[in-house]
Amino acid sequence: MKINDSLPLEYRTEENSNKIFGFWLFLGAEIALFSTLFAVYFTLWNRTGSGPTGKELFELNGVIWETFLLLTSSFTCGLGIHAMRLGLKKPMMIFFVITLLMGLGFLGIEITEFVNYVHEGATLQTSAFLSSLFVLLGTHGLHVTMGILWGAGILIQVGRQGFTDETANKSFIFSLYWHFLDVVWIFIFSFVYMKGLM
Amino acid sequence: MKWDEFFVTGEPMIYAAMVSIVVVSLAILIGLTYFKKWGYLWREWLTTVDHKRIGVMYILSALIMLFRGGVDALLMRTQLAAPEMKFLDAQHYNEIFTTHGVIMILFMAMPFVIGLMNVVVPLQIGARDVAFPRLNAVSFWMFFFGAMLFNISFVIGGSPDAGWTAYFPLASLEFSPTVGNNFYSLALQISGIGTLMTGVNFIVTILKMRAPGMKLMRMPMFTWSVLITNVIILFAFPVLTVALALMMFDRIFGSQFFTMANGGMDMLWANLFWVWGHPEVYIVILPAFGIFSDIISTFSKKNLYGYKSMVASMVVISLLSFIVWAHHFYTMGAGVMVNGFFSITTMAIAVPTGVKIFNWLFTLQKGKISFTTPMLYAMAFIPIFTIGGVTGVMLAMASADYQYHNTMFLVAHFHYVLIPGTVFGVLAGMYFWFPKIFGFRLNEKLGKTAFWLIVVGFNTAFLPLFFLGLSGMTRRMYTYSADTGFGPLNMVATIGAFILAIGFVVLCYNFYWSFRYSPRDENGDPWDARTLEWSTPSPVPVYNFAKVPNVKSMDALWEAKVNGVPLYEEGPYEPIHMPNNSGQPFILGVIMFFLGFFLVFSWFIPAIIAGIAVVVMLALRSFERDHGYHISPEEIAATEQKLRGDSV
Amino acid sequence: MARLFPIRHVIGYIFSLILSVVGLGVVFWDLNPTAGLWILIVCALIQASLQLVLFMHIGETDNKKSLYFNIAYALFVGLVTIFGTLFTMLWGW
Repeated sequence: MKINDSLPLEYRTEENSNKIFGFWLFLGAEIALFSTLFAVYFTLWNRTGSGPTGKELFELNGVIWETFLLLTSSFTCGLGIHAMRLGLKKPMMIFFVITLLMGLGFLGIEITEFVNYVHEGATLQTSAFLSSLFVLLGTHGLHVTMGILWGAGILIQVGRQGFTDETANKSFIFSLYWHFLDVVWIFIFSFVYMKGLM
Repeated sequence: MKWDEFFVTGEPMIYAAMVSIVVVSLAILIGLTYFKKWGYLWREWLTTVDHKRIGVMYILSALIMLFRGGVDALLMRTQLAAPEMKFLDAQHYNEIFTTHGVIMILFMAMPFVIGLMNVVVPLQIGARDVAFPRLNAVSFWMFFFGAMLFNISFVIGGSPDAGWTAYFPLASLEFSPTVGNNFYSLALQISGIGTLMTGVNFIVTILKMRAPGMKLMRMPMFTWSVLITNVIILFAFPVLTVALALMMFDRIFGSQFFTMANGGMDMLWANLFWVWGHPEVYIVILPAFGIFSDIISTFSKKNLYGYKSMVASMVVISLLSFIVWAHHFYTMGAGVMVNGFFSITTMAIAVPTGVKIFNWLFTLQKGKISFTTPMLYAMAFIPIFTIGGVTGVMLAMASADYQYHNTMFLVAHFHYVLIPGTVFGVLAGMYFWFPKIFGFRLNEKLGKTAFWLIVVGFNTAFLPLFFLGLSGMTRRMYTYSADTGFGPLNMVATIGAFILAIGFVVLCYNFYWSFRYSPRDENGDPWDARTLEWSTPSPVPVYNFAKVPNVKSMDALWEAKVNGVPLYEEGPYEPIHMPNNSGQPFILGVIMFFLGFFLVFSWFIPAIIAGIAVVVMLALRSFERDHGYHISPEEIAATEQKLRGDSV
Repeated sequence: MARLFPIRHVIGYIFSLILSVVGLGVVFWDLNPTAGLWILIVCALIQASLQLVLFMHIGETDNKKSLYFNIAYALFVGLVTIFGTLFTMLWGW
């Protein structure tokens, strides 16, 4: 088994290097996926039927908190990987716990937002605009949810086994996923909420 | 839900199908039990992660689906043989052309192509397996259970009936209130996920696992075509994922994406579908081009002419394939700039394809040609596919397309590119690489007989359709009246379809005959071929290469044979690391089948439970610590000795 | 303690916050819609690139050419899908 000691632990075996590369490719596919959801949103965002517009619905406060939480969680995730590269297990785990908790906070706000919309009579079924809003935000939110479950699983594995090339590899791949979700959020923040409230 | 909404009732042919499904399933179960083969089936096939076995399963599935899609075709052609035939009513006809299209493209062409990719590519690049063998198995079982979900629809719930393109508003809940199109949405979604994973797998495999010395520009052309195809897969399939999900939301959860009220935009479906759909047809054709390149070069005993331009043309095709899609709906109401733009890009994509045709012709020129069965398919492909291609350029012109769109002219065009292109390609590939996997060749005489029946049958079936289309016969029409004058050419076409069918029967008989009587090959290189896969013994041992080859040029095996350039270093064998088999991919496939099935019928509680089961499977995989096993040098030596005899 | 907070990540974080605030500002300052949209586009692209490079370490390994190509192709398909759809279905050309 070829091991390249000059690389960080998560890349050292050829298999692990390939897994990281493969995951980047998957993120390319996810870019295409979210682009399609944006294409649908931009096509349908004006088509509100008898339902409310984005301007009438969006609440800046929640959006600001969601953005801050997700961005900061991406930051702490990166700090966690950095700690991992320094071989520091406890700091890495703490940073990851903070990351996941902030992710949960993000989800909490988003779920509250959805519930509020439904109570105001704006549901998935009300108009094309609302359908595309819920599906775009919901897909991102579902990705965040899966990420939290996945991250928790990895945290347990790091706790039990420490840093092996396997756990390091999984943690790094998770961090790519988590960062990616914040990158997608940048575009949701800008082109759904900010543009909608302009 | 009433029984007759669940089971399809009232159709004698469907009752017959139900009975035969039950009988065949029972026969399989009883046979497996009687011959005590359950263990074998589980250990060797259902849990395999070996790319060669997975490839064989893909191809076997494709052949079975070819049978079903072919029967659909014969049923349609029978109904259209004469004016006002009463063989199939309109509803039944609609279901049949829908399932014919979905099955042939998604459950026949795709798995056949992906199956050949699986069998051949690791061997061509000197690798021992793909980059992610477990993921590869998951890909197969997702495809398989997606196909199973689709296939069950004609006896349970009802087939989809809105065409393989499932346009809205026809495919909406309002106009298709039965669950048929739910099967479409969910089955294709499940299979599509498998295909996306294949995309990731093969790009990493080809970029990272080539044997030392095999630079990208030394790879066989089939591998190049597979690399480019998988890049298209990676970026096109997510669009389908979204489109099918939105269809599911509209039909099952009442959203307003493609409705005709509350702001919905029904034509948006057609747009999204074709953003995926056009790259999809290049996904099925590019590997066929690669197969033909390898076959033409092998059986002309020449290097492929214009290697670099072959690669460049495929890269250009892959990029252009993403910017031509609106040519599928020129008549949907877009304006001049839109239709004009897409006309130009569509005509442009003919250019790199033309480059390839000339390169094949120049490869043939002054070559030492052997007319084997695979070579016959390749040589038939060149002129016949060209007919399809030039009619494509005719269709590309938007204003002219107002005359041709959705007539039989279009049907003839795409069959003239898909059959001489993809189908001949995969059949040629199957004949070519069959001996590598099974250790004996398919019989040449039967192969050539089948070939001629297929070529004659195909042209007889589809050439008349060009003229019928120009005369005004539209597609997807279950009948026509006598005074249209369409009768005679339709009869000719039907006769052609049956000749084609006989050709496929002969092809199937070839399998049986060859299993029983073909001489077993001795050295793994029955065609005197040029590339690395032929340097392994046949059948190929599980580890593929006992020693990793050292590649010094293109067509490395040919160089080794002709110029004595050694492929392998001297020295002892080293232990080989292999992945373990696993039942998880199969089980995940079964769960996805049920998840899809429950969603089709809107049984949400069972669906949620199945969804949780999927998450559990993912967690199991994450926590799993399985590092495979090693094959010792002694074992390798013994296997090589057994397979190669004393030439080792 | 300081070594737990590498400078690249801190810079990436701070700039991302600033860019997000600028995006927020578009809502509060009364700009004409086109200008506002362009500011949003530029800020989003810069922030995304920052995060790709500084957080995700895209340029870190020998694979970087393939990774850049991957992102470029993905963006090509994404932009074609978005603008192609708008061009074909919405903008009335």
